[in-house]
Amino acid sequence: MTDAFAHRRIFVSGAANGIGLACVKRFVDAGASVACFDRDAEALERLSARSRESRLTLSCGDMTSTEEVERAMRKSVEAFGGIDGVVNAAGIDLLRSLEDTDDEDWRRIFAVNLDGPMRVCRAALPHLRAAGGGTIVNISSGAGLMPLKHRTAYSASKAGLQMFSKALAMEAADFGVRVNVVCPGAVETGLLRSSIDKAPDPQQAYEAVLARYALGRVAEPDEIAAAILWLSSSESSYVTGTALAVDGGRTFH
Amino acid sequence: MDKPEGRFEGKVVMITGAGSGIGAGCASRFLSEGARVAIIDREEDGLAQLTSGFPADRVYAVSGDCTDESVVTGFHQSATEKFRAVDILINNVGQSARERASEFHESQEDVWRFVLEVSLLATMRLSRLVVPQMRERGGRILNMSSDAAFAGDAGLVDYATAKMGIIGFTRSLARELAPFGVTVNAVAPGAIRTRAHDRVPAAVIDRIRQQTPVGFVGEPSDVAAAICFLASDEARFITGQTLLVDGGRWMI
Repeated sequence: MTDAFAHRRIFVSGAANGIGLACVKRFVDAGASVACFDRDAEALERLSARSRESRLTLSCGDMTSTEEVERAMRKSVEAFGGIDGVVNAAGIDLLRSLEDTDDEDWRRIFAVNLDGPMRVCRAALPHLRAAGGGTIVNISSGAGLMPLKHRTAYSASKAGLQMFSKALAMEAADFGVRVNVVCPGAVETGLLRSSIDKAPDPQQAYEAVLARYALGRVAEPDEIAAAILWLSSSESSYVTGTALAVDGGRTFH
Repeated sequence: MDKPEGRFEGKVVMITGAGSGIGAGCASRFLSEGARVAIIDREEDGLAQLTSGFPADRVYAVSGDCTDESVVTGFHQSATEKFRAVDILINNVGQSARERASEFHESQEDVWRFVLEVSLLATMRLSRLVVPQMRERGGRILNMSSDAAFAGDAGLVDYATAKMGIIGFTRSLARELAPFGVTVNAVAPGAIRTRAHDRVPAAVIDRIRQQTPVGFVGEPSDVAAAICFLASDEARFITGQTLLVDGGRWMI
């Protein structure tokens, strides 16, 4: 593999599964040190096999806790001597009509999908500044660009994450930090699987998902990771405040 | 991902307006990564610079005007005879005709026609020539928009109109070609250091720089890096998109 990320130190939230995990593998292969943050202790444990042979730190914690996010950031900075990249891949879905959405549902979605990345970015910024610059890539969703039915909370949280990222791109540019957003469509992950399985007719639900995308299929996590790595690399040095949809042709953003 | 060697080994890439600026930046990048490149530009000097560094089986250059349909048809025919069918088409050619720009109420229809021909219709014509074979073999089409399409450009109404037209073209063709393994995307650069850019008054450049969060004007290589990413296998799930490469100047 290339060593395009040699000497880079990347903090990845939601690192143990799906898109986050695909990123971790790619970053490691490209020579980076990676700080993995996830609330899924079991999945993190599976990553620990890799951590012996490569430059990984593992932190179990929740995006909804400022304290746990900050503790994980401190641990990563101590291990690597700093941080110069962030990927926020942690996120949760909610397929529910608004009338069935209670305050607790709503707050939970926003706490993870919007407040979570905000906490990680806020905790990382002093270190990115200290490193003399860096990159942040937040994983939003095609649903943050173009709505999906029965996903009011999810779509709103992902749209919020985009505007958060763009506003941050403006202030972070002053110290050489680029902030971009990747908006995936449906991705073959546990998150998608569990949403499909909850539908009354899972097969029909899956076909309805496929029909949304011009390419007629859902993405592999690695196809999303490819865009995340590009936006984290020096190849995209004039790109900031951008939302790049990697969605097989749904949003046409 | 710093210029992986040979990423485009064996690919045939066609680039319009490749004699200078962004088009030349794309051509050098594709050549350095192993592609065979067919290029066209009105001006021979820039083409000669590109062809001099590579053997004739790697680069094929034609000097001609992309607003002339017969020139474009001839270029496509001779390039595919020399190499083979096009894998990656970079529709880069375009002009703002800034030297003839005026406020809209005083604008001339012949200028509109020129700008639309070179910045929109040339893209549509060459795409129509490559699409039949791409429908059989797959491929990538990259179109050059501009952040002027989003931001608007007082005094350059025709140019911004053409560049927004590029986006509609990109989205529609992406839908049409998705079943055939062809992705179609656009890149919308902001202020990039090119010859056209060098003709912009210094006060305007200063204003642009102030409006650009990263605080500097981009290089053609910045746009070429985005084009090469979207043209690569890495971007196979991206289609119908417009990627801004503008230092954060216009955050849509």
